[in-house]
Amino acid sequence: MRFSTWEFYLREAGRSLIRNRFMTLASIATVALSLLILGAFLLGAANLNHIASTLESQVEVSAYLDEKLGPEEIEAISAQVQRLPGIRQVNFVSKEEALERLKEQFGERRDLLTSVEKNNPLRNALEVRTQTPADVKPVVDGLKKLAGVAKVSYKEEIIERLFALTKAIRFTGLAVIILLAGATVFLISNTIRLTVFARRREIAIMKLVGATDWFIRWPFVLEGLCLGLLGSIPALILVVRFYHWLAAGVYETLPFIPLLHPASVLNRLQPLLVGLGILVGALGSAISMHRFLRV
Amino acid sequence: MIVFERVTKVYGDNTYALDNVSLRIKKGEFIFLVGPSGAGKSTFVRLLLREDLPTKGRIMVDGVETRQLRTREVPFFRRQIGTVFQDFRLLPERTVSENVAFALQVVEAPRREIYRRVPQVLHLVGLVHKSRSRPAELSGGEQQRVALARALVNNPPILLADEPTGNLDPETAWDIIKLLAEINHRGTTVIVATHEREIVDKMRRRVVKLERGRIVRDQERGAYGSEI
Repeated sequence: MRFSTWEFYLREAGRSLIRNRFMTLASIATVALSLLILGAFLLGAANLNHIASTLESQVEVSAYLDEKLGPEEIEAISAQVQRLPGIRQVNFVSKEEALERLKEQFGERRDLLTSVEKNNPLRNALEVRTQTPADVKPVVDGLKKLAGVAKVSYKEEIIERLFALTKAIRFTGLAVIILLAGATVFLISNTIRLTVFARRREIAIMKLVGATDWFIRWPFVLEGLCLGLLGSIPALILVVRFYHWLAAGVYETLPFIPLLHPASVLNRLQPLLVGLGILVGALGSAISMHRFLRV
Repeated sequence: MIVFERVTKVYGDNTYALDNVSLRIKKGEFIFLVGPSGAGKSTFVRLLLREDLPTKGRIMVDGVETRQLRTREVPFFRRQIGTVFQDFRLLPERTVSENVAFALQVVEAPRREIYRRVPQVLHLVGLVHKSRSRPAELSGGEQQRVALARALVNNPPILLADEPTGNLDPETAWDIIKLLAEINHRGTTVIVATHEREIVDKMRRRVVKLERGRIVRDQERGAYGSEI
């Protein structure tokens, strides 16, 4: 295609963007708002997921051992555990160490424990970490079968709740996003409908002198793309700013919350938002051309 | 060059806009299509431009039947036919030369071609001095000349004028017709749909008269009325 033809398309698209200033601004604002909300949801979901995975990877399975086992037997069991599939690390925690930990947790109220100190009721245990969260269940089952293991326990509830929350956020996010995308597409197609209407005389003449259908369509496609692109820019800026601000705040005041690093997550989010903006714009013009520009 | 073979066009509930019309127009001819309004002239124009297909019969232009054209071939088909209308159909916010250039831009002519052809064709219609004016600053006759220039700028072998003088005073109308005759003299086939008796009588060209969708007369060197 000729350069002058593209120049023609761009000039036509620019003209109608300026001619319908109000609708142009309204469309851009809607695109921006939708993408902003989309971005916020995606960031929220990604971070919750990340937090849940981090916590899950920290899941510890504790295998409490029979009391009467001697050091060699414990050594043997530990070796057996090492050979289970999916094991990352095995730590022996003696009942004395366990009591020390308990004391630490009690902090200033540790005097409450003095009564049990003489007759330690805690058990020797093996603390096991798995390679992946998915290994937890099989490892637990494997541990239960070993002779000398009295009881197996692990903390799963909080993680399951976190994953459920992530799922819920994803689900509502998806619903909200679909609604917003629908509204955006509608507004863009309406803007372009106005352009088609404003340019009906030109379109009639173009048909008359033998312009091809795509020649007539291209300026409208470009107009839609521009609306999408222009809307994605403010959304992008706001999302990036907001996340940097949020991440800095969290790192400073709540450092134990494992937020995703801004650079890594934004690198993926930015092209996504721009791409979606353009997609929504293209979709809007496609719909409006299908309905109002029967060429 | 243009052949209508037993063409019938029925609209909606049994309105016969054209009824078994057969007609041959040779290359380089000048032909008046006359008849009262509602006689089928507009339908004739629509069918020839392939804005619509006949209900029955065939229309062929340069050996190509309109019904055989694929949708994407229609624009290229239309490039063979320059058209002007009673209401000029100019773009008000563009200048005269932009209006003419528009017809070349939308068929993706190279820029050099546009710069070459636009002044040429404006010279032909005698409007070079008005090339920077906008349609609103021009008289009706001048506007029709611009429309004519736009129709001709692609060098189409056929020029179709649908009531080209309908909005013009007799003197200006006569100028436009003389221009059409000159264009015809240069080899373009010219079809003029009109109901202006004076012009037709004065020109003495081939006259095809339509009445209620039928050809009632086809006469070389004819007049508007049948009495001559």
